[in-house]
Amino acid sequence: MKPIIEIKDVSFAYSKQQDVLKNVNLTIQKGEWITILGHNGSGKSTLSKLLIGLLKAKTGTIHVDGIELNEDSVYDIRKKIGIVFQNPDNQFVGVTVRDDIAFGLENLQIPREEMIERIDKFSKKVDMFEYLNKEPQQLSGGQKQRVAIAGILAMKTDVIIFDESTSMLDPKGRKKILEYMKQLNDEGTTIITITHDMKEAVSSDRVVVLKHGEILKVDTSTNILRDKTTLEQSNLELLLPLELLHYMDSNNVDHQSLKDFLWASSLNV
Amino acid sequence: MGIKFERVSYQYQGIDQRGYLAIGDINLSINAAGEFITLIGETGSGKSTLVQHMNALLLPTEGRMKLFGLTIDKNTKKNKKIKLNPIRKKVGLVFQFPEYQLFEETVLKDIIFGPKNFGVSEEEAIKRAKKMIEVVGLDESYLSRSPFNLSGGEKKRVSIAGILAMEPDVLILDEPTSGLDPMGRNALLEVFYDIHKTLNKTVIIITHDMNTVYEYAQRALVMREGVLVYDGDPLQLFSKKNIDNWNLETPDILALSKAMETKFDITFSTPPRSRKALFTEIKEVLK
Amino acid sequence: MKNIVIGRYVPGKGFLYDLDPRTKLIALLVLMAATFIIDELIHMAAAILLIGVILVIGRISVKRVYLGLRPLLFLLIFTFAFQILFNTQGDLLFETPLYYSPITLGLVVVIVLIWGFTKRFIKFKLLYFLATVFLSLFVLNTFTEPLVFATGTFSIYEDALEMALFIMLRLIIIVTLSTILTITTKPTDLNLGLESVLKPLKVIRVNTEEIAMIISIALRYIPTLLDEANKIMLAQASRGVDFQEGKLKEKVMQIVSLLVPMFIISFKRSDELANAMEARSFIPGHPRTRLHLLTWKTLDTVVLVVSLTLLISSISIRVFL
Repeated sequence: MKPIIEIKDVSFAYSKQQDVLKNVNLTIQKGEWITILGHNGSGKSTLSKLLIGLLKAKTGTIHVDGIELNEDSVYDIRKKIGIVFQNPDNQFVGVTVRDDIAFGLENLQIPREEMIERIDKFSKKVDMFEYLNKEPQQLSGGQKQRVAIAGILAMKTDVIIFDESTSMLDPKGRKKILEYMKQLNDEGTTIITITHDMKEAVSSDRVVVLKHGEILKVDTSTNILRDKTTLEQSNLELLLPLELLHYMDSNNVDHQSLKDFLWASSLNV
Repeated sequence: MGIKFERVSYQYQGIDQRGYLAIGDINLSINAAGEFITLIGETGSGKSTLVQHMNALLLPTEGRMKLFGLTIDKNTKKNKKIKLNPIRKKVGLVFQFPEYQLFEETVLKDIIFGPKNFGVSEEEAIKRAKKMIEVVGLDESYLSRSPFNLSGGEKKRVSIAGILAMEPDVLILDEPTSGLDPMGRNALLEVFYDIHKTLNKTVIIITHDMNTVYEYAQRALVMREGVLVYDGDPLQLFSKKNIDNWNLETPDILALSKAMETKFDITFSTPPRSRKALFTEIKEVLK
Repeated sequence: MKNIVIGRYVPGKGFLYDLDPRTKLIALLVLMAATFIIDELIHMAAAILLIGVILVIGRISVKRVYLGLRPLLFLLIFTFAFQILFNTQGDLLFETPLYYSPITLGLVVVIVLIWGFTKRFIKFKLLYFLATVFLSLFVLNTFTEPLVFATGTFSIYEDALEMALFIMLRLIIIVTLSTILTITTKPTDLNLGLESVLKPLKVIRVNTEEIAMIISIALRYIPTLLDEANKIMLAQASRGVDFQEGKLKEKVMQIVSLLVPMFIISFKRSDELANAMEARSFIPGHPRTRLHLLTWKTLDTVVLVVSLTLLISSISIRVFL
């Protein structure tokens, strides 16, 4: 497999302040689903802004699909990576749903006929086809986030970053967005989710835990999910079944079938 | 005393005089002290409209409410003699985003802004600020800092301290824990529980997190399309029928304990409502 | 906060909806120019009639246009009063003495106070205001005794009346035309039309695409910002800010308590929005393709020709007659 993103020794600081990210190294494979976990202020979102060149690393290099990210290549790299931000209201550019999906396509100078085709196709994909003429004030937060996803899908990027995209939504909206993440990953899109919700980490392949700008651990999601020490160091919480499992282990409660059951139920939250 | 709603409705006046009914026919009674209530409902179900009535920011277009002895209905607006400000002192409302209220140069000034508006002396207000900054889990060193250089969680705490310093009987919080990491969320929930326990205040929390409802609340309110469909015990709320009808998520503890009961053919003597209780229970059951 | 009338598109059908936004914009400019050129009352009457015809054919409710005019009522009254009081050119039409005495002035004060306290209960505020003015003048005119310490005259000159009338009618026509434009044109189309109409400015190095983008984003975010301002007001009201009352010092504080959060939130919002736009490959000044196309129809040519004819005829009338 070919890596789609390679981050080498990247550090970042907002002018003269303390480093927000310190010596981050991470390689992400094509088609992988990676979750970046961390406490508030751990540098998760900074990392995502570095990846699409909204911020410039102090040291280190970032390669996307073999191309080094720099001032000249940043526009090409943004064609490969899309990002859904946290606040649904602050990324809805168009006056209507249709216009918003079109925004990125207009920037890429896609011909009008193809634009119309893609808008129809991808608005259907996120179940927003009936809403194409609606204005953002008429939509819920979850619906706005779905429009954001359609806008990125229409641009046909290889990678989609979900930067705390579900944190301002109600359970229904959150669930729906999670479903799309799974579906897109199954279809081959590389997914990077940034979150502190453990339930979002369950379906991903690997998990990165950040603490105060440093990578605490990178491992498969099954290993990280039960790593109480690492998670708690970054203000995170074990999923309930795994917390119980941990409790049984540390109190020498032995009941193999219950343990198996807990492990299984942690995977389908 | 306390808060009492009698058939309260509120209609937003839209363009074209076409109204939009935000809440309809709400009957509700909340004590002035000692309650811990969670209010849940999907986006747009009327939760915010409902709580904005509780401190008379919005006045009913139909029905009436009694807020701490003051009767308010649709005619109240026209009567300039009725002062609504005393109600806002009794019922403190913390909005979802602390950015809506923070504006002063220092945290101290921001916290004493509310009390001073209600006629509290500067000295007394400063005394309260020093107390409340501790109550929300920060320390006095924060008082001299600018509210804009704080982290999201700290801002939230300062905005809550600003309302607490008004010494309200009822404290309402609109989605206070959204966007916080798990430990930050738990710590803040403990703060609310503490305020409820030690200061004996009624606390009302709007939330999307069913775990909060299940683990903390004494009473749960459910709004759905502007109607109050449930007002009662959080334990009974999560019946299969309600979960299906109202599209609720099952709280983690309830889901797991139910699943374990079926799988291992056991029964918990009392349904566990906290992680700790679940662990203790499981030990008992496995013996 | 959801009932702002000006600049609000109302879906509907009719020839005004079918017109190209460019046509409507140019016609608006042309007709506005024409109203400033004509200077005979009869021509003005014809212009008003024409507006009426447009409203009827375009099936636009007069009530909507009135809602658009309402915020300007104060301006209309003010210019009218200003002209009547200070313009002394032309023939004298009407003159009457005014007597100032403690009694008459006292009565006027009482009348004004009564008006101030009761106006909120009266439905036709403008009429009520005019009645108050006339009653005051009547008092000053009638009670001649005793203790008169000064006399004055209230006079109306022909030019003043004419000027006042003209200014009022012009304002009404301009606002009505603009309201018709915004009611019948989607914001997106309006913006597209504007960009297209402004294109000639490119010669003098004005970036018309950027202007269009700024306007489009402003259109998108005005409702959001209004909503936010409302929430901030409610949040501060929850902390005991009583926006109805307060001394000057408190008023200043109240305004600060609104403005600071408003600024901070808006800056944060624009920062995040800029990020979101850049992330979606927006490069300022770069060429973009467009989803929306404007299509020119015969109707557009007809409307444009008619508007231009009206402008040319008003110029000719002014110059040659």
